[in-house]
Amino acid sequence: MSKKIGGSQAHHFFKGNRISLLIFLLPSIIIIFVFNLFPAFYSFFLSFFDWNGFSQSKVFVGFNNYIMAFKDPELRNSIIVTLIYSLLVTFISMFIGLLVALALNKDLKGKSLFRLLYFIPVVTPSVASGITWKYLFDPYNGVINNILGFFNINGPQWLNSTSWALFSVSIVGIWKRIGFCMVIYLAALQDIPKSYLEAAEVDGANSWNAFRYIKLPLLLPSSLFLIITGFIEAFQVFDLIYTMTNGGPIGATDVLGFLLYRHAFKYFNLGYASVVALIIFVILFLLSIVQWKYTGGGVKNVE
Amino acid sequence: MLNKKSFSVKNVFIYIFLVIGAFISIMPFLWLVTTSLKPPGKIFSAPLLIPTHFYYKNYIEAWNSVPFARYIINSTIMSLGIVICQTLFSAMAGYAFAKIKFKFKDALFLIFLITMMIPDSVKMIPNFLTIKNLGWYDTYSALIVPRAASVFAIFLFRQFFLSIPSSIEESARLEGCGLFRLFFQIVLPLSKPVLVTNILFSFLFAWNDFLWPLIITDSQKMRTIQVGLSYFQGRYGVRWELLSAATIFAILPSFIVFIIAQKYFIEGISTSGLKE
Amino acid sequence: MKKVFLCLVIVVLSVFMFAKTELVFWHYWDGENGKKLESLIQEFNTSHPNIEVQPVFIPGSDLLTKIQLSVLSGQTPELAISDIIGMPLILDTGKVIDLMPYVKKENYDLNDFYENTLVYGKIEDKLFSLPVSSSNLGLFWNKELFKKAGLDPEQPPKTWDELIEYGKIIKEKTGNFGYELYLDGGEGTTWQWQIFLWQAGGEFLDSDSNYRKSSFNSEAGVQALQFWVDLTNTYKISPIAPWGLFGRGEAAMVMDGSWMTQFFPAQVDFELGSAVFPYPENGVPATNMGGEQIFVFKTTKEKEDACWEFIKWFTSTEVQIDWDKATGFIPVKKSVATNEGYNAYIKNTNRLLLPFIEVQQYAHARPPIKEYSQVSDIVSKAIISAVYKKGTPEKMLNEAASQVDLLLGRK
Repeated sequence: MSKKIGGSQAHHFFKGNRISLLIFLLPSIIIIFVFNLFPAFYSFFLSFFDWNGFSQSKVFVGFNNYIMAFKDPELRNSIIVTLIYSLLVTFISMFIGLLVALALNKDLKGKSLFRLLYFIPVVTPSVASGITWKYLFDPYNGVINNILGFFNINGPQWLNSTSWALFSVSIVGIWKRIGFCMVIYLAALQDIPKSYLEAAEVDGANSWNAFRYIKLPLLLPSSLFLIITGFIEAFQVFDLIYTMTNGGPIGATDVLGFLLYRHAFKYFNLGYASVVALIIFVILFLLSIVQWKYTGGGVKNVE
Repeated sequence: MLNKKSFSVKNVFIYIFLVIGAFISIMPFLWLVTTSLKPPGKIFSAPLLIPTHFYYKNYIEAWNSVPFARYIINSTIMSLGIVICQTLFSAMAGYAFAKIKFKFKDALFLIFLITMMIPDSVKMIPNFLTIKNLGWYDTYSALIVPRAASVFAIFLFRQFFLSIPSSIEESARLEGCGLFRLFFQIVLPLSKPVLVTNILFSFLFAWNDFLWPLIITDSQKMRTIQVGLSYFQGRYGVRWELLSAATIFAILPSFIVFIIAQKYFIEGISTSGLKE
Repeated sequence: MKKVFLCLVIVVLSVFMFAKTELVFWHYWDGENGKKLESLIQEFNTSHPNIEVQPVFIPGSDLLTKIQLSVLSGQTPELAISDIIGMPLILDTGKVIDLMPYVKKENYDLNDFYENTLVYGKIEDKLFSLPVSSSNLGLFWNKELFKKAGLDPEQPPKTWDELIEYGKIIKEKTGNFGYELYLDGGEGTTWQWQIFLWQAGGEFLDSDSNYRKSSFNSEAGVQALQFWVDLTNTYKISPIAPWGLFGRGEAAMVMDGSWMTQFFPAQVDFELGSAVFPYPENGVPATNMGGEQIFVFKTTKEKEDACWEFIKWFTSTEVQIDWDKATGFIPVKKSVATNEGYNAYIKNTNRLLLPFIEVQQYAHARPPIKEYSQVSDIVSKAIISAVYKKGTPEKMLNEAASQVDLLLGRK
């Protein structure tokens, strides 16, 4: 049996068949260029202006917005907060999501019910999630501190502590993303042909090795997907933060998505908001390159 | 066999963790259910997570407060349109990126990925202006077309198609199969898990989208269910008992779609078995 | 041929004569308020057969964005309301008409309005909007907790010192918190704190310089902020926790809005009292104002005239009395606030609202500037930093002041 799994070798099949290729790509290209790329250029153009979206005139200010951004302590804080948040949420949710997917991939009684339950956080609206977690984290009457009190531990102020707030919202972010990771991994696990696993059995591999050498590499494409999309989502997250902490206390949970929202929809500093968007983009881009290289483009050859 | 059903200690532990995790997962949902069944005077009092009242009138009042039926229809049409287009277009594009060699492939994929990294908030005004210029304001086209393609989906499909062994396509090619036949009759049927996954997520994204439908529609007859929900988050105070009932209405379709999609994971027996 | 032509002319003329002027009216009043608006509009439409006002509900948090986009696309509604804070931005579009010519021509009485409600629409001798509703802040207390603590449930605190005293007693005797502060940040925090500032005799932004400089870092400001630090840290009467304790019966007193006189009784299971918020011994009563203004977008002369008819009607004393009775909004006109029938009605149906009506005369307007939201966030951060003991009230306010001055000085 061919040991080359996950071949990324492109095929020279259809080199001459331009029309088919166009049909495959064109709808996506048109829509993405018009509704994603064009707005990106528009936004970049706006970054050199001072405009609130209401006034009839846009004032050209050159690089002023960029200079302001460079000097803005809130922005610096926001970048750090967002990086910490994305690292915690992306990787921990992937890890737990994988564990849950593995557990629910076997013949376990009630596994479809469990899958639904673990997926519910993904579809629960942020308002409901935010409010409930706020209750749970309440420093005086919340369930979490009550439970800790049971063990004679004086729980921290959670969302109201400048040191614990980021960790608390990260927990909620992880909680919300686990179901998504679980589904992606479940789909990937289903894709692994039974024959590979049976062959491994025959070769005498135990279940840990089966996991390490067969399942894991095949999960690499999904993992790359989850990492990149995880960071993208974390850099744009806004409504959970808005409901739970409003960016506080004192900027402890002021993620870039929330900062951007403030400048775009509250202060109406559209030029400055465009700069923030550009910064978000640049960071994500750099991170993606690193993630891509590190995982070999999400493809691995297994011998 | 990997499918040994045993009551090992390991399994018991797994169960315990799964149950605890499941409970934590559904807490906010329980809050929604509990609050929606409480009479207004009790919404702040314990218990918060376990329904002890059964004041179903909230559901009736919530249903009658806004034209829910119309909103559900609009959301459904919009979501179906988005799901069908996104899945079809993205599967095709994802396949092209995974399996077809062409000039500028990497550059194009990079450009696509880049657009994912641009925050949505700044795309709002230019897209609004584009829609207005196209004359699509307050129409289904405005709700569907801008989201008919998705780089997330393309990315997802690409990753999955990359892991389909080339042997399948080679043998099909040897049999004289053209690109379209290969894609629609061989590759897609093998990709049920990722197709279903994508349908699920496209649907969820479309169904739960709030801001774009809000700014691009005006009339009651075009509004979606999420915009309808905001009606209950009043300017001056929230009627939690009604909001949670309305939210339950809004979440239910997501559950249904997930349960249906789930069946493909259970069946899960990958039909991509290689005929060696 | 001539007959046909004549008939045509008559038909066309009749169509024009009986043609209704349609006015689209964007608002965010939901629930009962929305229903009342719709019934009022129906009344207007019936009594004014040439005009048809069509109300369109837009969710509150997005009305400003929708208005922004409508101006961008050139397709604005005829009429709209906005929260007072959004007015400076809307006026910046240059697409809102000046109502002063109508006011002058018909001798419309502007003096009947509380002066501070006109601040958002009256710019020099032009009038771009009129107030149609208002709300303000006052004290609510939990009578059961008062009883439990041995305090007279009918006697709320009247000064800052009494607030602390009562708070301490409640903490001691019931274990619950005495007073709940809004510490969730943003305008919610700022607009509560402004009341303490004004009560101490201070000013938020310098009105002499047309609100382009900070004034909140004055002695009065430090006094007001120090009081918050005392409540939370020195006497520990107020917890540092998310908002909502009062509603759950875990805090005995709170500063909240006049609109809560409708929500609280339905949502809580204890008896409530309301009063004008306590002010310091050497201070003055004060409150903060929320509310909506109505305005007209540039359109045809015919439509603008019709819009004025509606505004005139909607802001008339009789209609305002009807409106305020049904919605619980605070009167924007003195003739409404002093109307006997109105007061009797409120006494009978919503006693809790009386103190809010009383204190409206002491309501301050927040500065009507475009940058208000950003200024508010800078100040709320300073307030919370002081409460979290990241610096003294003086230091935090001064830092905020220099940030605000930098921001406002840029224009």
